[in-house]
Amino acid sequence: MIDVEHLSKTYGSTTAINDVTFQAEPGEILGLLGPNGAGKTTTMRILSGYLPASHGTARVAGYEVHESPMAVRQRIGYLPETPPLYTDMTVEDYLNFVARIKGVAAGDRATKITSAIERCNLQEKRKVIIRKLSKGFRQRVGIAQAIVHDPPAIILDEPTVGLDPRQIIEVRNLIKNLAGQTTVILSTHILPEVSMTCDRVAIINKGRVVSSGTPDDLMLQLSGGMRYELEVEGDRSYITERLQRVADLKELHWLAADELPEQRHRLRVSTETNADFGKQLAAALVSDHVGLYEMRKVGASLEDVFLQLTTEETAVEAASTIETDAMAETIQTDYIQTGETE
Amino acid sequence: MITVLANIDAIFRKELQSYFKSPLSYIIAGFFWILTALFLVLVSQQVIQYATQNDLGRQMGQGGGAPLDVPTLVLQNFLSVMGSILLFILPVLSMNLYTEERKRHTLELLATSPITNWAVAVGKLMAVLVFVITLIFPIAMLELFLLNAAKPAFPLQIFFVGHLGIILLAAAVLSLGMFISSLNDSAIVAAFLTFVLVLVLWILDFLGQTLGGAGGEILKHLSLLKHYTSLTQGMLDSSSVVLFVSYVVLGLFLTAQSIDLIRFQQS
Repeated sequence: MIDVEHLSKTYGSTTAINDVTFQAEPGEILGLLGPNGAGKTTTMRILSGYLPASHGTARVAGYEVHESPMAVRQRIGYLPETPPLYTDMTVEDYLNFVARIKGVAAGDRATKITSAIERCNLQEKRKVIIRKLSKGFRQRVGIAQAIVHDPPAIILDEPTVGLDPRQIIEVRNLIKNLAGQTTVILSTHILPEVSMTCDRVAIINKGRVVSSGTPDDLMLQLSGGMRYELEVEGDRSYITERLQRVADLKELHWLAADELPEQRHRLRVSTETNADFGKQLAAALVSDHVGLYEMRKVGASLEDVFLQLTTEETAVEAASTIETDAMAETIQTDYIQTGETE
Repeated sequence: MITVLANIDAIFRKELQSYFKSPLSYIIAGFFWILTALFLVLVSQQVIQYATQNDLGRQMGQGGGAPLDVPTLVLQNFLSVMGSILLFILPVLSMNLYTEERKRHTLELLATSPITNWAVAVGKLMAVLVFVITLIFPIAMLELFLLNAAKPAFPLQIFFVGHLGIILLAAAVLSLGMFISSLNDSAIVAAFLTFVLVLVLWILDFLGQTLGGAGGEILKHLSLLKHYTSLTQGMLDSSSVVLFVSYVVLGLFLTAQSIDLIRFQQS
């Protein structure tokens, strides 16, 4: 449905996005995830036909965005970062105006407007002037505006930003309900949003797609299979040496252990493969007389993946090698802890 | 073609609705009506006074030429005053045409809808022009009311051609003002720049005269005042109509281009 290939956009000498490629299948919700300034909005603006790309192609329902702009515009609904609202109009008048300029036939207009109002739960606000609506309702009017002409593809730029938790849940449910019949691309920098709403994710950082797949895939693929968290007692270098003998061990992180007695450490180990190495791990530690106080299987969060992909190169490199250096340890424990706050 | 007309109509209705909802429109209308009605009375009084003196002079054998055609003089003078008043009001009407869209981020909606920049600009211009016609209409009725019993008979030619001139003048100024409003998001700046531009176009006639030569002739021909005056004399000159229409098309063209440019500039 949406096909983006080698898309690049430069403003003068700055590169906003560079060689971005991703696809969205019909009926799927694709999340563009990335820190602020990563190029999400630029990508969406190109897709919506608002901005021309410097290189590459973007197709919506088979139409190239630049070559057939009108055909594309008829087939997409777009909610920019700031909802484009005529604040002096009532919700109904506004949606009627949007339906008209989107080319909805006069006969279908009333039904489609009512349907959009119902889907966005705006029945009570139908006759209210937009200026008088709260932020959450305005956001919903923005979404209603994007779906009023029943487009096959919808692009939502940060649809939940600035809403309260209740409104966020409502908007997420609304987006989930759109899937199946409509392809949705949404951008966000909020991780739980992606795992809760999206079928697939493309992580964008500094204008590039650094990874894509289902949220589960990404977690598995990038967090390196199995992980265990351990609380052990003994000499660090001795423990490291013992652990390295365990087959397939990829990473070893020392975690913060301030509250523990001396010689007691907390660490996290992981393997490349998805084979459960718990048995070998326990055996190796116990047979070598390392005091084992806790052993716990942990799942990687999407935040780990995200941070691993978007944090500065040095940290990423450090994370992929076994590292016992004190400096690297602080960097890593920092972000590992962040990763676990979810 | 039908789609384009439907799009223009959608923009037109939306814009017109917003004029009738905006308090600024009512302030402008009130201001315009009070001022023009006042001037209509003043101009009539002055012309009548002048004509009386003229008649008196003739009766006393001091010459003074033919009797004056009071209705024609009143109408011609009043139309030129109304033109000048409009020069102050039109920039205020055009200043919000695009600055509001920019402030509300609605340009992004228009630019991602299957509607061309031209259709948007034409729809907007038509709406604001209809608003101006709504302003002028009661005043035109007042002129009719005031002058219909006059002798010699009311000059219908001047009435129609003169008001056509007002509408053409308004369309030209609004179209250029619309372009200026698309350049930045400050309404005040837009109004001021439009006023300056219109003033320059208004007095090109004088500039042309001072300059002289071929360049001067061209400037004189581009002057809004010169062509407006010829229309208020009741002369339906095709070159005047062409000039005003050219300004309208120029404004629309520049607006469409400038909206395209905004998209390229935005990061």
